[in-house]
Amino acid sequence: MNTGKYIAIISKSIFVVFTLIPVALGFGYAFLYSFGILGILNDGFTLAHWKKVLFTPTLWESLGFSFYIALISLTIAIVFALIIAIYLKQKLQKGFLSIAIYLPLVFPALVMAFFSFLLLSKSGWLSRVSIRLGFINELEQFPNWINDNYGIGIIFTSILLITPFFIILYTNLYHHEKLDNYKELSQSLGASPINTLRKVLIPILLRKSIFTIVLFFIFVMSSYEVPLLLGKQHPQMISVFTVDKLQRFNLLDIPQAYAISCLYGLLVLGTMALFLVKHSKIKLK
Amino acid sequence: MIKKGLTYLFTIGLFFPLFFLFIFSIGRNWQFPAIFPKKNTLDNWSIILKGNSELNTSLTISLLLSSLVAITITLLSFITSKYIAQSKHRSFLILLCYLPYVLAPVILGVLLQFYFIYTDLAGTFAGVFLAQLIITYPFGIIIFNNFWTPLVFELEKLTFTLGANTNQTFKEVLFPLSRKVLALCFFQVFLISWFEYGLSNLIGIGNVKTLTLRVFQYINEANIFYAALASCLLIIPPGILIWINKRFLFKAETIV
Repeated sequence: MNTGKYIAIISKSIFVVFTLIPVALGFGYAFLYSFGILGILNDGFTLAHWKKVLFTPTLWESLGFSFYIALISLTIAIVFALIIAIYLKQKLQKGFLSIAIYLPLVFPALVMAFFSFLLLSKSGWLSRVSIRLGFINELEQFPNWINDNYGIGIIFTSILLITPFFIILYTNLYHHEKLDNYKELSQSLGASPINTLRKVLIPILLRKSIFTIVLFFIFVMSSYEVPLLLGKQHPQMISVFTVDKLQRFNLLDIPQAYAISCLYGLLVLGTMALFLVKHSKIKLK
Repeated sequence: MIKKGLTYLFTIGLFFPLFFLFIFSIGRNWQFPAIFPKKNTLDNWSIILKGNSELNTSLTISLLLSSLVAITITLLSFITSKYIAQSKHRSFLILLCYLPYVLAPVILGVLLQFYFIYTDLAGTFAGVFLAQLIITYPFGIIIFNNFWTPLVFELEKLTFTLGANTNQTFKEVLFPLSRKVLALCFFQVFLISWFEYGLSNLIGIGNVKTLTLRVFQYINEANIFYAALASCLLIIPPGILIWINKRFLFKAETIV
């Protein structure tokens, strides 16, 4: 066997070791633990932990809350990104803004969450500005935007984090797909600017970015640092809920944490598989 | 008019978080209802210059960890991605690379924590390094996947046909062609590692105090000025990298 073939085998083995084995080992252990086959307090196969997870509302509330946060954040972010990318496309391709747009990408999620915390909390910057401007008279009148029931702080931070990515994506797409040509064509055929926007530009941009949108939806659903800092104890987003269960002092919660991890993993992988089967025309370059 | 207003608003929005955090990083004494801290001083920043400060240690750990992860993954994924790209199942294998991101790094951390505890890697620098390799390696493969086009393979074959050996082909053909994508991979992996919190906290059990862990610690201690300072330190290196990398950022990672 020549050196090239050895390198090929080693390379494929490295790929398997780093990509497949960790996921397989992780799921294997978590499944066995959640079914009572492994673990300190477990003494044989049982469905008790899965029943407890599946038939108590906390998990479903957590999943629902994560879904709600992802849906609202992504919708608002995409709307903002489309407006900015379409209206400021020339400035975003050349000059100062074309560099400045990359600035928000240097903010880790945790730092952006901290910024939102300083800005939106009851005694935060906006509340102080509101008092100065006379919009409110005392601290209590300022709405609860951090650790609140509706996850406003989490949504706000997610929007700040996602929007720049989509602006860059849509600006690049607009350029690569030569949308100006489509715009001219549709207008020369008699479409109004609004119709061109609604029926030509936005559908093309959305269709071309559907895979990225689905990925970002899952990223936001699984986000950890932002809800950890800005979220409430109940309902929690799924990642925080899972880690919280794993790190509690009650050892009986650990099998449940593993059951939730497995369930969430399968749910996400299933959704992705379904999406890819349905949109098999999307080419993975 | 609307376009001009939108441009101004957007530009202010881009710079405001940076300005805001910087003001707090040099601030002291933010009593209600003052809009900004009453006292501004560079004393907070001067602690970075002191050798043994905890912030300095975290900065060193983060820089070392992220640089090591970025160098290792860039080299490893460059070599191995070539064979993934030549595989009959290329698309499927690339799809598998999304697993750690689709599952969320922190959930993967939950699933893998047992093995790190079992091998005594939990709570160590090596453990966090390995955990970060696991989540960044697939990303490296995704980045290089776009580089290995039929044209590159043809060029490689041509140099072999013309008598070049493996080393010469790498030095004279592949390396010059891949310089940009190598830099892109290094920068992107550096950023993932630099920004990482959940997995590092879970596998490091809080012992490997990276800068992100330090920010969280300061926030929990209600020390907003040090948290702002640590945040600024977190922003500066990626800022420099993204500025250098701006030209080819996003092109390789975005699948449309």
